[in-house]
Amino acid sequence: MPPDWTHDRLTELIHKILRDDLLEVSGDFTPASNLIEAGLDSLAVTQLMLSIEESTGVWVDESLLTPENLKSSLSLAACVHEHLNRR
Amino acid sequence: MNTSTGASESEAERPGGAAPRRLPLTGADGFLRAFDADTRRRNGASHLAQLVLRLGPGFDADAFRGVLADVARANPILRAPISRPLGVSAPVYRLDAARDAGWPAFEVHPAPAPAGTVPELFFRRLNEVRRIERGELLRVDAVPRGGAEPGTDLAFTWLHMLFDGSGSERFVGFLEERRRGSAPPVPPADRPGAPAETSLPGARARGAMAMSWQRRMQELGALPVRSLAGPVRRVPQDLVYDVHAFSAEESAAIVGRAAALAGFLTPMLFYVAVAVRAHDAVLRARGTSPESYVVPLPVDLRPKGGAGGIFRTRVSMIWLQVRADRVGDLDVLLADLKEVRRRAIREQQVENGVAAMSYALFAPTWLYARMTRRSLGGELCSFFFGWTAAFCEGLDRFFGARLLDGFHAPAVPPSPGSGLVFSLSGERLNVTHVRQRGVLSEPELRRFRDALVRDLVGR
Repeated sequence: MPPDWTHDRLTELIHKILRDDLLEVSGDFTPASNLIEAGLDSLAVTQLMLSIEESTGVWVDESLLTPENLKSSLSLAACVHEHLNRR
Repeated sequence: MNTSTGASESEAERPGGAAPRRLPLTGADGFLRAFDADTRRRNGASHLAQLVLRLGPGFDADAFRGVLADVARANPILRAPISRPLGVSAPVYRLDAARDAGWPAFEVHPAPAPAGTVPELFFRRLNEVRRIERGELLRVDAVPRGGAEPGTDLAFTWLHMLFDGSGSERFVGFLEERRRGSAPPVPPADRPGAPAETSLPGARARGAMAMSWQRRMQELGALPVRSLAGPVRRVPQDLVYDVHAFSAEESAAIVGRAAALAGFLTPMLFYVAVAVRAHDAVLRARGTSPESYVVPLPVDLRPKGGAGGIFRTRVSMIWLQVRADRVGDLDVLLADLKEVRRRAIREQQVENGVAAMSYALFAPTWLYARMTRRSLGGELCSFFFGWTAAFCEGLDRFFGARLLDGFHAPAVPPSPGSGLVFSLSGERLNVTHVRQRGVLSEPELRRFRDALVRDLVGR
């Protein structure tokens, strides 16, 4: 695992991809915002995981994504971080 | 995602809110229009879609008639003829030619349907011809329901290009909001001058995207496909359907299984897999061995988290293809489907599909349909598939009656002759199987259902 992929950096990456590329969100969308309520759907979640894979080299299968870890960019970052650590 | 419905290209859509005279079809509309023309020519029917609301007692038909008429007046797309200006341009909705006294029709039928069945009338509606050049795009039928659960079955039947699945549910919600006076006469995202949902790159890049899509279509033909009905035929379209409603307990188990195997947000791959295996069970029993299964998976292009429009279809497609020799093991099949879908999204097939369909708007309808079928040796695909998640989420009453249940029943051309739509109505999973009458014998239908239920519940 590249040493610089901390939980904070992953959160920042996920938040940026969602805010800038995938979701149509207002200024109050934060890393703590609920992703499902913000409009994350089947296409967007796969696009998100592909973008994360491109940046980190780790693919997290969609079947491992639960309502819990899709609660926010923060919780999703924790899930991805765990996978990075296992590598 | 930077894609376009093609809707912003026409001078007909002017910014600033002026009412346009013409509204261009989206690329997906053009695709569906081609199949409508093909179905009319070969099968004597239109390419329609249907949504059914099962309501409790108290449906206010007069109020519904009034609101529907008001909505149709404010939104002329609901009764606008569709044609090609000068016979060669991209097809448009002729909003300026929508007749004030035109469609949508609404009829209340006196004879009650037997309890627990789909009214035969709904099948007839699905097999009718709509004259799109006269704006016959939508009709609604109400049939009283007797038995232990009295109420009304309400069927919306429309020319498929008028709404996609999500759009039709939004339209139902919009009608109820209009009844309550809580929505403006024209949905905000469908107003003239509303920003285009997406945008395509310039002509050169768009051409490359369309070529990439076409190459992908040609690749599909390398592994032959066989639908239950076989290649395209000149037979009258005669669609019927049934709805398998699972109990709340069974549904919870199935939904949990789909999430665990395919993903909480991507359960449709599980439903595709079980649908493939149900078709495969019948084809193998017939001794027919297709080399692959090809299933178009609709993808909603509406902005994620944004309002999204109601009218016109706003979808692209991912073409899933799996080898028949991988179908025997559900886990293996599912892994393949995931990989194929992931690759498609990585290769931007969703966006490429939009580009290709935007070009195809200019092609004659017969050419478009022929090109698609030619890639697969006369077949369109193995079967139709739809997953619409929660049905009319948030809507619990409709014009005074409680919404008890609801489902989609989109038309399937006589080839492939079979389509499955999965949706969640409240706590229940509904599976609608639309098929050409006679495509499955009674024993085959039992085999099909057994395979489907076995895979869904996992035993």
